[in-house]
Amino acid sequence: MDFVHQFWQLTVDGLMSGSLYAVIALGYTLVYGVLQLINFAHSEVFMLGAFGGLFAARGLMDGGDTPSGLASVGIVAVGLGVGAMVGALAAFTLERVAYRPLRRRGAPRLAFLISAIGASLFAVNLAGKEFGRNNVSMPEPFTNGEVFKIFGASVNTKTLVIFVVAAAMLLILDTLVARTRLGQSIRAVAQDSDTAVMMGVNVDRVIVLTFIIGGLLAGAGGFLYAMTFTASFTMGFIPGVKAFTAAVLGGIGNVRGAMLGGVLLGLIESYGGYIFQASYKNVIAFLVLVLILMIRPQGLLGERLGRAA
Amino acid sequence: MARRRLLGAIALATAATLTVAACGSDDDEGGSTGASGKPEYTIGFQGPLSGSDSQLGVNGVNGVKTAIAEWNENPAATFTLKLVEQDDEGSPDKGPTAAAALIDNSDVLAVVGPMFSGATKASEPAFSDAGLLSVSPSATNPDLTKLGFTTFYRVIPNDAVQGEAVADYITKALKPTKVFSLDDASEYGTGLSKVLEGRLTSNGTTFVHDSINPTTDYTSEATKIISENPEVVYYSGYYSTFALLTKALKDKGYTGKIMSGDGSLDPQYIEQAGAAAAEGAVISCPCLLAQADPEAADFVASYQKVTGEEPGTYSAEAYDVTNAIIETIKGLGDDVTRESIAGKFGSIDIQGLTKQIKFTPEGEVTDAAVLIYEVKDGKLALVGTVSELTAG
Repeated sequence: MDFVHQFWQLTVDGLMSGSLYAVIALGYTLVYGVLQLINFAHSEVFMLGAFGGLFAARGLMDGGDTPSGLASVGIVAVGLGVGAMVGALAAFTLERVAYRPLRRRGAPRLAFLISAIGASLFAVNLAGKEFGRNNVSMPEPFTNGEVFKIFGASVNTKTLVIFVVAAAMLLILDTLVARTRLGQSIRAVAQDSDTAVMMGVNVDRVIVLTFIIGGLLAGAGGFLYAMTFTASFTMGFIPGVKAFTAAVLGGIGNVRGAMLGGVLLGLIESYGGYIFQASYKNVIAFLVLVLILMIRPQGLLGERLGRAA
Repeated sequence: MARRRLLGAIALATAATLTVAACGSDDDEGGSTGASGKPEYTIGFQGPLSGSDSQLGVNGVNGVKTAIAEWNENPAATFTLKLVEQDDEGSPDKGPTAAAALIDNSDVLAVVGPMFSGATKASEPAFSDAGLLSVSPSATNPDLTKLGFTTFYRVIPNDAVQGEAVADYITKALKPTKVFSLDDASEYGTGLSKVLEGRLTSNGTTFVHDSINPTTDYTSEATKIISENPEVVYYSGYYSTFALLTKALKDKGYTGKIMSGDGSLDPQYIEQAGAAAAEGAVISCPCLLAQADPEAADFVASYQKVTGEEPGTYSAEAYDVTNAIIETIKGLGDDVTRESIAGKFGSIDIQGLTKQIKFTPEGEVTDAAVLIYEVKDGKLALVGTVSELTAG
């Protein structure tokens, strides 16, 4: 077994998938933080963002040769931007249509769950109808090749773009939550929304903004995903489940936990798929999840389970 | 939209043929005299004409229509042909109903189809009981000819044949030191990879096996494959995941041969992998994709003229089946009945478009040609049959 020889290459692969999981996982964890509910339609926000970015990038390229230099940078930037905007719009709409009416009426937690699943099914089938049932691939925005080697592991352009963009987004979000006024409000609502109201925090506004931030991240992540792999109307499901897992692994509600969980899950999958038959990839990943949760039910960085709401 | 119009047209055509068939059903011999003064005979078609797999059925029925149109326009023709279509949705549940409708229509003298293995298995007992000839252009399950059906034939080699032929092609034509055999953990994929690997073992070719559930992210699988350093990667699975695997391998700079089987023989593969990544990929299939073969240009033109579409997978096979039935009827003179056709069909021996049409007593086609295709300039091109390619 030359696992040792491939260790660094597998690490690079795992970090790439992991950083995508992390970007999506943040949407779950942020919404959970402020609302204590799992937004099961988040995977569709990711999917819609992917299609938005893909069509924008495709529109710019419109056949022809693979662009290079500044044109490539421009296309990726536009794709990311449009993907993020579409994701934000989808998340905003979702909050308005599927959550807010329920919140106003003080519906039980279960109603939110059903509403989210309904919204998710609606979005998946609408996308299937509009974008077709086949996988839709994106023309290459740049020539993909090896950029550099690290410990003998090759890092290509796509991987590097994903690293850089994902890391930048994670860093910005971390700063936003930790240092800005908005971040302070988000944290306040997450800790105790009743008290936050008394302190003059506009809870509705914070919730909407939280959805939008999650949507921006998921949409941009969707574009990166479509650029590397493919887009399809069902593309949200598996990464959605993985990202949710990552959020739980890291401690749901905890921003840095979601990042850590995503990266860890990517690495475990990459190593596990190599050491064992690839069909066991998910088995190993979820086995690790169960084991970690048995030892630390609140997740790796989670603080506590119950909330004194 | 185009598809809906097409289905409408098919429905209309079916209704029209049924009406005509009903009007002319007073003839005992199953033939009636058409306007041209020649006797008119009816053949049936059974396959999926609606549902998610209907494209394959449409490909098949259009192949049949092309053969019939060519024959009816042939001035030397001693009789004319009419078609009755039955939709079985490709499902084992609907198969017997569709078969019964063809059997109960006493005009129907022979049937092209059923197309899918499951529907074939469910329908054949009824065809055997009725003594009605049924020739499938596309059912590949190996067991179908072992179940004692008396009037069943097929013009396509079964699934086991493909795996062995591909293994021979790899061993003798590509001569790799190592092969990576990957399947998609489906019934089809594991079946194909098992046959392939069995033959590679007996050929003495080293291989590594892995199995991966369909996913979108093949990055770490590509690392695993490349670390084994194989000259050939054979993927037993379908085109959409094969496209993703191809992209992942090319992204990591893999330069060896990337191969797959009939599940991947679809222009969508090139569309989804991107022409650049798909270039040079090799796909095996026991079927003839007519557009990829310059020698089938006449058929492609005729097919387009009759149906207004491009031929697809199994169009050429359905065309061959129809021509074989025409040839059989030609040899019967005036004695054209279900019994005489079913009795004579097994001894046919003609050169078809896809292969020599000749059968074993069990109903398998003797010319078990497996074809090799390669992606060239963004299109699937025919390289040749495995037997040609391994001969030299």
